[in-house]
Amino acid sequence: MTLSLFIQSLINGLNQGAIYALIALGYTMVYGIIRMINFAHGDFIMIGSYTLFYTIPLMVNAGMPAWLAVVVAIAVCAVLGVLVETFAYRPVRKAGSMSALITALAMSIFLQNLAMVLFGAKPHNVQAIFSLPTITVGGVSLPLNVLLTIAIGLVIMLGMQLFVKGTKLGKAMRAVPQDKDASTLMGINVNRIITLTFCIGSSLAAVAALMYCATYPRVTTDMGSMMGMKAFIAAVLGGIGIIPGAMLGGILVGLIEIFVKLFAPGWYEAVTYGTLIVILLVKPSGILGKNTGEKV
Amino acid sequence: MRKHKRVLALTMAAAMGLSLLAGCGSSTQQQAGAGSETAASSAAESTASAEGATTGAEDNVIRVGVVCSMTGGSAIYGEGAQNAVDMAVEEINAGDSGYKIEIVNNGQVADDAKDAKQAMNAYNLLMAEQPEAIVGSFFSSVTLPMATQAAADNMLLLATGATNVDVTLKGDTIFRNCFIDPYQGKMAALFVKDKGIGKVAVIYAKDDDYSNGLKDAFVENCEANGIEVTYTGECMTTDTDYSSQAAQAVASGAEFLYYPCFLDTVPLLVGAARNAGFTGIIMGGDGWDGADTTGLEDKFDNCYFTNHYSSEDTSPAVVNFVQKFTEKYGTESLNACAALYYDAMYMLVQAAENGGGTDTASLVKGMKGMSFSGVGGDITLDENGDAIKSIVFNTYVDGQGKWAETLDAEGKVAASAE
Amino acid sequence: MTKQRKIAYLLNAVGVVVVFALLMALFAAGVFGTSTTYIQGICTTACYTVIMVASLNLVVGFMGEFSLGHAGFVSVGAYVSAIVSGALAGKGLSDLGLFLVAILVGGLAAGIMGVLVGIPALRLRGDYLAIVTMAFAEIIRVCFCNFSITGGGKTLSGILKLSTFPRAFWVMVVCVTFMYMFVRSKFGRTVQAIREDYIAASAAGINVTFYKVLTFAVSSFFAGIGGAIYAHYMTAMIPTNFNFNYSAELLSEVIIGGTGSLTGSIIGAVFLSALPEAMRQFATYRMLCYSVVLVLVMLFRPGGIFGRWEFSLTRALGRLVHRRATAKKGV
Repeated sequence: MTLSLFIQSLINGLNQGAIYALIALGYTMVYGIIRMINFAHGDFIMIGSYTLFYTIPLMVNAGMPAWLAVVVAIAVCAVLGVLVETFAYRPVRKAGSMSALITALAMSIFLQNLAMVLFGAKPHNVQAIFSLPTITVGGVSLPLNVLLTIAIGLVIMLGMQLFVKGTKLGKAMRAVPQDKDASTLMGINVNRIITLTFCIGSSLAAVAALMYCATYPRVTTDMGSMMGMKAFIAAVLGGIGIIPGAMLGGILVGLIEIFVKLFAPGWYEAVTYGTLIVILLVKPSGILGKNTGEKV
Repeated sequence: MRKHKRVLALTMAAAMGLSLLAGCGSSTQQQAGAGSETAASSAAESTASAEGATTGAEDNVIRVGVVCSMTGGSAIYGEGAQNAVDMAVEEINAGDSGYKIEIVNNGQVADDAKDAKQAMNAYNLLMAEQPEAIVGSFFSSVTLPMATQAAADNMLLLATGATNVDVTLKGDTIFRNCFIDPYQGKMAALFVKDKGIGKVAVIYAKDDDYSNGLKDAFVENCEANGIEVTYTGECMTTDTDYSSQAAQAVASGAEFLYYPCFLDTVPLLVGAARNAGFTGIIMGGDGWDGADTTGLEDKFDNCYFTNHYSSEDTSPAVVNFVQKFTEKYGTESLNACAALYYDAMYMLVQAAENGGGTDTASLVKGMKGMSFSGVGGDITLDENGDAIKSIVFNTYVDGQGKWAETLDAEGKVAASAE
Repeated sequence: MTKQRKIAYLLNAVGVVVVFALLMALFAAGVFGTSTTYIQGICTTACYTVIMVASLNLVVGFMGEFSLGHAGFVSVGAYVSAIVSGALAGKGLSDLGLFLVAILVGGLAAGIMGVLVGIPALRLRGDYLAIVTMAFAEIIRVCFCNFSITGGGKTLSGILKLSTFPRAFWVMVVCVTFMYMFVRSKFGRTVQAIREDYIAASAAGINVTFYKVLTFAVSSFFAGIGGAIYAHYMTAMIPTNFNFNYSAELLSEVIIGGTGSLTGSIIGAVFLSALPEAMRQFATYRMLCYSVVLVLVMLFRPGGIFGRWEFSLTRALGRLVHRRATAKKGV
């Protein structure tokens, strides 16, 4: 392997990893607060991407920059997240994690097929969102898009960390997963906190959709399931529920995949999942997770 | 003591479950029947006349069941198939061929969801309406189980997109109107040789029949023709990132990149390859037809794909198909799959003419060795039921598909744009 | 064996035979007309799905742990049995013998895979275990995509069509009986004790890991048998058939039916096997309706249709007789 191919792979890995990280941030946020694997998160990204696909031409026609379409996407995704939470997840929350999981799976199928009915089955290309140049040095090309994605990821990560650790709402968010009843006694409206979490998580999905579409400019109705799965692995790898962990996990998964593709492209998924298994067995709570002993 | 009483109660419950299912299934049937009294009554009519056929009375209606993927990630093909079938049936029934086509299942294409289990159920569902032929499906993985069953049932199965060699080997009643994988791969290799290119790279989807088949044939024929395959990269059908494979293809010094996959990932691959600095020819198979090029017009320059027809073709069949389809349904679902389903309907009519009847046996007789010309070019069915046909090379100009040349079945240039 | 137990055995055996005879008679008499093959096909599908779902319920319902990777074990059973039946074809075995050997070897292979996966994975619990099982299943799928003996990513076709409806039905009856007996046995009770409180169970001297791995292996064994029937019914398969969606489908059938109720698994499997077929008239809206039904069931019956309730023929008959007796007394 030549040095230039190595560096190029590093850049490609960061590029893919940054996208995973952005999606994983939303995943981990929701899991951290309500301890529920939201399989429909990937499909929120799909809905966000379709929103972008339809609003970007409008934005461009109106003379505004294309990325402003993300505002519409955030609004759509946030409303969708709140709707899904209120009408599907909240009623089954008391029934235990298994019912919640199945509801999430059903929502995922629902959103995919709804999208097919609404938007049609044809895969579409999304118009270019950023016109950032690509720097080429000695056979290695670095699209500035990558840096932008990472920067957005870092900003969101820091923002979320400050919000969750610093504000009163964030404190309430951290209290809810620890003890719902005690939180209610402390005057926290648990339902409202969970709805808010979904609102934020889904908005993050819209931002992730923006960067996803900037890198992989294509929308299909089933794009969410694969991306969601990879981001989910990333979130678990970094320590699910831990915000910097999602960032780390995402980048790691991206790098692993790209480098495995250099040697055995047919096996890259197996290696990703294998890494996940090894890390979970060695450190069950993920790389940045805290191991908590169980109370008898 | 109560628990002792329950020993094996469960097996009983299993049995109850099955009886419930049986009830469930029959009620479904009733609902479907109720939903389409017309279809049911016409079904009754044609069964009656099919019985009459043995005594010489001929109803001239070919009853056809159609299967394709209507839901899931490949639903775009099903949409195209439904539109094409509707269009073909309307034309045939209004035409003067003397034969009419009736699509069973209320004119609906039965959904296989690209899943073998659902494909089998779809096939059995259609068989319940006693069709004289079944058309489909588009993917080899779902057609193979159906083909085995069709061979056992002595049912005429005209596969449209199932390119796996094994499909038609399942029985004498299985035919297809698409290319087989080895043929398309070989033609691509001949194209490379023609252009005088010495180094090629291949990226293919590891978990798909079509992609594997084309890759194998392409690599084999390249090696036979002294063309060096410098890089073979694998991906999955659900992948979105091709940067690694593209970078390696570039690093390997290849001047030509073969990507035999379906239309949904084509823009991503072409984008990734061009971003990685690949300037040579990128080529694909008929799975490329209908790929979206919007926003990537410049990147699609110097890309080619092999297909059954070209939208620029001036032959009346193609012109009629492309124009009518675009008028009625737009270009969204206008792809190779639609063309193949469209042709399949006309092939059945011709089979009825050749065989002199609309029952399955006559249709099979009429199918054997048939020469047909339609949207997909001039087709001759060989002894296996595989289509021997000319192949069209298309390229892109400003993102629009453009005819480059047509090779006949032996690989000689039949016509060229240059 | 007590007298009641003997009667119960007899009653249930008679019940099963009656239902089977009834179904066969219905098929033979052509009550469904031309739809007989269609209905029979759905019934065969339902039979092997029942085995898969009931086996998953051993892990989910009786051990109380998630598994999102059941399709992995199903695929091991399917591929191994297909290879075995292909190798043994024409070696003087009757069709039935070949079928039985193939499903047994398929089941054993899946069982061994269950032990191999279970030993490391079952150190984890809850969501993490679910994720690891999913990861293992995906790895199995990628392996099948890469091994040439399994078709190397292409469809493996030409598998003998050995699964007929009567065979699938009787294999299902035997499998479900064994699973029921497992749950009722000393092992089954131990596993349920672990589900309720694994710390207390281990304090009581139960080797928690052993019993968990055992249950996992038994579950995988039956999943493999289900997969073997699948393979010999479909006659062709591709590794992508056994992806995450299939695992998720099986898990939803368990939960819709009721975790910890084998009756529920049977009904859940039958219900969700028939549902997409019943929705065919909606054409492209089919899967949309399917997901809506799924959500509605979860909304109105969050514990599944049956919860932990088990159907008992003797009890049902007993009630019927009792009611008649009281009615007579009333007169």
